[in-house]
Amino acid sequence: MSAVLRPSVEDLRLIGFYLGRVLTGLGLLMLVPLPLAAVLREWNALSALLLGAGIALTLGALADAHLRSRRQLGWSHGMVVVALAWIVGSAVAAVPMHVSGRFADPLAALFEAASALTTTGMSVINDLDHLEASMNLYRHLLQIAGGLGILIVVLALFSAGGSRVSTLYVSEARDERILPNVLRTSRFIARVTVAFGVAGTTALAVALLAAGFGPWRAVEHAVSLFFSSFSTGGFSVMQSSMIAYHAPAVEVVVLLIMFAGMLSFGLHHAVWRGDVAEVRRHVETRTLALVGTSLLVLLTVGLVRSGTYGDVTAILRRGLFTLVSATSSTGHQVNAGDTYLSDWGVLAPAALVGAMAIGGMASSTAGGIKALRVALAVKAVVHDIRRFLLPESAVVVTTYHVGRRRILRPDVSRAATTVLLLYVVSFLLGTMVALTYGGLDVTQALFEAVSVGANIGISIGVVQPGMPSWLQLVYVVQMLLGRLEFVAVLVLVGYLLSFVRTPRRRRRPS
Amino acid sequence: MSGAARTSGGAAGGTVGPRGGRTRWALLGAVALLVALVGLASALDRAAPRAERSAPAIADLPAPVLDAPIPCRRSDPDEVVTALADRLRPGRITAAIVVACPRLFDGREVVHVGEVVGDVLRRDGGAWVTLNDDPYALELGPFGAHRERAGFNTGLSVWLPDGLHEDLGPAGRHGRRGAVLRVEGVLRRADPADGGGLTVRAVSAEVLAPSTPVTAPVDRTLATAAGVAALTAAAAGLHARRRRRG
Repeated sequence: MSAVLRPSVEDLRLIGFYLGRVLTGLGLLMLVPLPLAAVLREWNALSALLLGAGIALTLGALADAHLRSRRQLGWSHGMVVVALAWIVGSAVAAVPMHVSGRFADPLAALFEAASALTTTGMSVINDLDHLEASMNLYRHLLQIAGGLGILIVVLALFSAGGSRVSTLYVSEARDERILPNVLRTSRFIARVTVAFGVAGTTALAVALLAAGFGPWRAVEHAVSLFFSSFSTGGFSVMQSSMIAYHAPAVEVVVLLIMFAGMLSFGLHHAVWRGDVAEVRRHVETRTLALVGTSLLVLLTVGLVRSGTYGDVTAILRRGLFTLVSATSSTGHQVNAGDTYLSDWGVLAPAALVGAMAIGGMASSTAGGIKALRVALAVKAVVHDIRRFLLPESAVVVTTYHVGRRRILRPDVSRAATTVLLLYVVSFLLGTMVALTYGGLDVTQALFEAVSVGANIGISIGVVQPGMPSWLQLVYVVQMLLGRLEFVAVLVLVGYLLSFVRTPRRRRRPS
Repeated sequence: MSGAARTSGGAAGGTVGPRGGRTRWALLGAVALLVALVGLASALDRAAPRAERSAPAIADLPAPVLDAPIPCRRSDPDEVVTALADRLRPGRITAAIVVACPRLFDGREVVHVGEVVGDVLRRDGGAWVTLNDDPYALELGPFGAHRERAGFNTGLSVWLPDGLHEDLGPAGRHGRRGAVLRVEGVLRRADPADGGGLTVRAVSAEVLAPSTPVTAPVDRTLATAAGVAALTAAAAGLHARRRRRG
């Protein structure tokens, strides 16, 4: 760390300027549910959202007026902006939630906002079933904004474009460029989202009408369900999550949307341009097919052995849905959380933990370690074994397919295994901290820590209003680390440490 | 880490010069702003008008079958669950008690009391409802007029055959407490008719309290703060626009 230089006021100015843009985007997002609040005469929710929007837009405007800089956004600035966007964004997004009174304290409101923006989907809200429709819409909007990358959406739409934005895009834990230009990529992502949004919301509304919902409620639930499913966030309109619907058709549509949400946008692009063969060749598709099938078999064996369900339909409806919900990192639940512990035996929850830890694809809205990293780590191990087995003079080349055939380079496999290891450390630390909260056994603590750290949101009952504040704080940190895939947060920590540990570099006389 | 940080310093330039003293103040200012934000939100939360409850508590509520949920595991031998059954007393089940040990209640005749929330999903031969048995449903009424935080909503899915769901009125949601029902029925741990869901199949239902609207008073302090924030944002926006043009 000795070579670390203390950031100058100009650096902070640049970071503040871009952070201001993110806050402006967040402020505009808070304005979206206002017409609904006005129509439904939800005056307190309207005031809360207007207050939050006013604060966010004021901060954004002041940053725009006073922090504008001609300096180029560097890689490190981008990383710090990304990390701060989620942290400060969560803090500002928590304002309407906190003044709504439904959260025990500011930390609980921060937990909810961070859970939304990181698309974790865990909630500590009191009396969700009587929540204002506009405030519920706001929670779901935060998820779609966080899932699609609040930065890429806001900056791509607001910025003049070019290299500055591109730097941020690379930082935002999105490993694969889809199109050479960030603006074009953003537009493509927006196009995909709108297309799925129109189709998914319509299909959901029809399924909900058939399930017995009235037209207004069907649309309200359909929109929110689409946001939380495609963003793989998993917030629910009702406390009972998917249990409230009693409708296989709704579950099938949600399952398909979750599935679409966990696919990489690179793969979406390949399908859009007609290259369906890419789906078969892509290393993540193969990994997820293999891992998903294995886990489904494991989960089914677990449920059959424990005698939880009496027929195949129930096993498929409860088991498959929960597995896709876990793998996609959405977290929609078709079972009451505690029943995973009391009624699912041992093997089935273990399969869920595995699915949650691995997560979906890179360059998607899904969380977890990501199939790409798992595949690369496994390939790196196989590569090393082959090197041991073959003669010393043999040249061992390992390849993988992402868009095209690529050679597995040592730095790529190292990066994949490093992040994989950091996830495992996060899961274990979260488990150990939770265990100090009396009354939990290791199954509960591990399940919840993996669910939080991988941004999944399926809860076994640990996360609830009134949980200890320090555990809440640890989970917030885990959520942020998981969403930002560690690097951006570590750069931010390095930035902050540099204020404490390193001397300022003096300007040399010319 | 150090590599990233080193790059950070390199990209940042690292030179501070005569304006370097402002760095610390800039950081402190940002922290102070966040603290002020938290303080403002907390003050507004405390200043909100509040009543003791938003709807009358349900009178003559049967006592729960257990004082507190007793957890069991799928792997527990049948004898353990049978022994737990001996501890049940006449009364109503609650969602918390049931999900802690669904095996204990599978196939039993139960009494469940709760508020109809969400939607009444009418199908052929009956309707699905969610009956919440949490304090908002039975004691305090919906959150809003009162600001008592009593935790998550908890409830069970109940199938009401035709003849039992026609007079429920609108279900509970924002601005309304749904009808509070006392249902008697059979609990199914994995109901084949609901794809393996945990349900109560009612055979009788009695409305203990009808569906009623509840109104939360408008929080004038919050409305004023929101108005001030909106005006400030508009002024800040104009200021930024002028600076950009100037």
